[in-house]
Amino acid sequence: MGTKGFFTDTTLCIGCKACEVACKQWNQLPDDGFHFTGWSYDNTGHLGSSTWRHVGFVERPVSLGMQTTGVGNGSWLMMSDVCKHCARAGCLESCPTGAIVRTEFGSVYVQPDVCNGCGYCVSACPFGVIDRREDDGRAWKCTLCYDRLREDMVPACAKHCPTASIQFGELSELRGRAEKRVEELHKRGMPEAYLYGHSPDAQPGTEGLNAFFLLTDRPEVYNLPPDPVVPTKKARRSWTALAAAAVGMAALAVGAVLTP
Amino acid sequence: MARRRFLDSHLRGEAPPKLDGRNVDPRLGILDGEGALQQVEHLEQERPYASAPKFSDSNSQRDTYYGLPVLKEHVWKAAIPAYFYVGGLAGASAALGAAARWSANPFLAGLVERTRLIAAGGAVVSAALLVEDLGRPSRFMNMLRVFRPTSPMSVGSWVLAGFGGCASVAAILRKQRLGPLAAVGDAAALGAGILGLPLAGYTAVLLANTAVPVWQGAATALPPLFVSSAITSAASALDLCELNAFERRVVRRFGIAGKAAELLFSEAVERQVGTPEIVSAPLRHGVSGALWRAAKIFVASSLALSLLPESRPVRRAAGWLGTLGTLALRFGVVRAGRISARDPRATFAQQRAAESASPERTADARIAPAQAAASSSHVP
Repeated sequence: MGTKGFFTDTTLCIGCKACEVACKQWNQLPDDGFHFTGWSYDNTGHLGSSTWRHVGFVERPVSLGMQTTGVGNGSWLMMSDVCKHCARAGCLESCPTGAIVRTEFGSVYVQPDVCNGCGYCVSACPFGVIDRREDDGRAWKCTLCYDRLREDMVPACAKHCPTASIQFGELSELRGRAEKRVEELHKRGMPEAYLYGHSPDAQPGTEGLNAFFLLTDRPEVYNLPPDPVVPTKKARRSWTALAAAAVGMAALAVGAVLTP
Repeated sequence: MARRRFLDSHLRGEAPPKLDGRNVDPRLGILDGEGALQQVEHLEQERPYASAPKFSDSNSQRDTYYGLPVLKEHVWKAAIPAYFYVGGLAGASAALGAAARWSANPFLAGLVERTRLIAAGGAVVSAALLVEDLGRPSRFMNMLRVFRPTSPMSVGSWVLAGFGGCASVAAILRKQRLGPLAAVGDAAALGAGILGLPLAGYTAVLLANTAVPVWQGAATALPPLFVSSAITSAASALDLCELNAFERRVVRRFGIAGKAAELLFSEAVERQVGTPEIVSAPLRHGVSGALWRAAKIFVASSLALSLLPESRPVRRAAGWLGTLGTLALRFGVVRAGRISARDPRATFAQQRAAESASPERTADARIAPAQAAASSSHVP
């Protein structure tokens, strides 16, 4: 049972939002209201407790490498965002109850029967994925369709993607496929294509994402952090600072009672 | 209620009412999906979009995704900063009380009793505040289900549990002067004093161990700030108690050191999160900025009063100012985290600055030229 993941190729995304719908339907998630935002075709906004897939739409006054336009320059970038199931997951490492676990598929899973809604994972996720639903009281996020994987099925979003923008499979195989795709795009005249978080070397802060992306602009443009770091990786220096401060406080307390 | 409305519509032969936003008719479909357990009381409860704060001194040229935050802001209510104050107060009191008992100075017996009461009361209030803030308060015991050293919240839960036990025993046995019960009480007080040290400051590690720019930016300055703020709060609370001359002197010394350290480390925090400038913006603007400044002013005035020749009204005033100052600090820092998480520019700028500070990072080497080309062409 190797590590499973998503390779989301944004150059193939047509913004149909079938993944959003399939995710909501399969997982029986409640709707988030039907708002009109005016942000291109994005009326979803962000991932959240009941939104586990989110398609982003970026309108730019720049053309893509091999693109020709009739009047002026412009391109429309679409990207289906999801929980990254990080190799080092901030939510998992910060969870005090053990509700968040790593499954046999390498995915990060929140057990709803254990979560007590402390909300720490919400602040610990460097991608802003996991969120607490206030009327439910617990934290929720993408499960990588754990129920479907157990039955040897593909996650609902990947199954429904009509252009194979969302590809599901063994992580090692996906990485090879993604690298080949980038090479091909470069050859075809799209030098801006690159992979985001596809390996521990590419994103040492998270030691690689099990759900990685092919992008054609800086991560910021897609609302992705440019260099996310799992907070736990930097915790040692805070603990050291606390130890020094605690020694200082003990010395102050003893000093205050002893000096005549 | 929901079941009843479904039943009513069924009996009337109507279509089932839309209740939980799932649009699944329970007569036809079974709710057993991964998200089916998610309770829906109010359909529009999903968090609304928070727009990025507008700081006048933003030096960031980076574009964002419709100004939407990258991070989720914290979901904590006022109980959490209140707990930061109460937990710090209890921890520092227990540490001072243990030191006073250990000195075996008979003139400090009253101080020992007071600190034991404050520590035990603080532990009870802390636990209540933390349980109150949980999304599922009935599951508070899950905090002690595992011990996870990577989670400061797990470490802190165990510290608080141990501290609460020790501090309660020490408080119950505070009147015992001789015999085995006194020894048990003293041992418990020593345990509470030792656990009080991490209790006073682990909350800063908890905040630093998040993705929130202003909190993680102060990774090494925030823990000593919270510890010195805990000293301030304990000394200020004891300033409001009746104490003898010896005890007053002990508390005064403890407080002066704590308040001076608190001012010093608030400067250190500002310095540490000062680059890039936008990360520290919540400490300068808005409600969080006002609270942060108020904390410094209150603590500085409290320090000045503590340095004056001693008198009853001056002690009282120093105690109240110190208490207000350390409360404002905790509420200010927590509020700053909320604003910081809302600002995608702070997240981007901090990560880009860290990236360029470490040239050995070859992560983006392969894609850098293409990215640079893409970004230079369309920064608005």
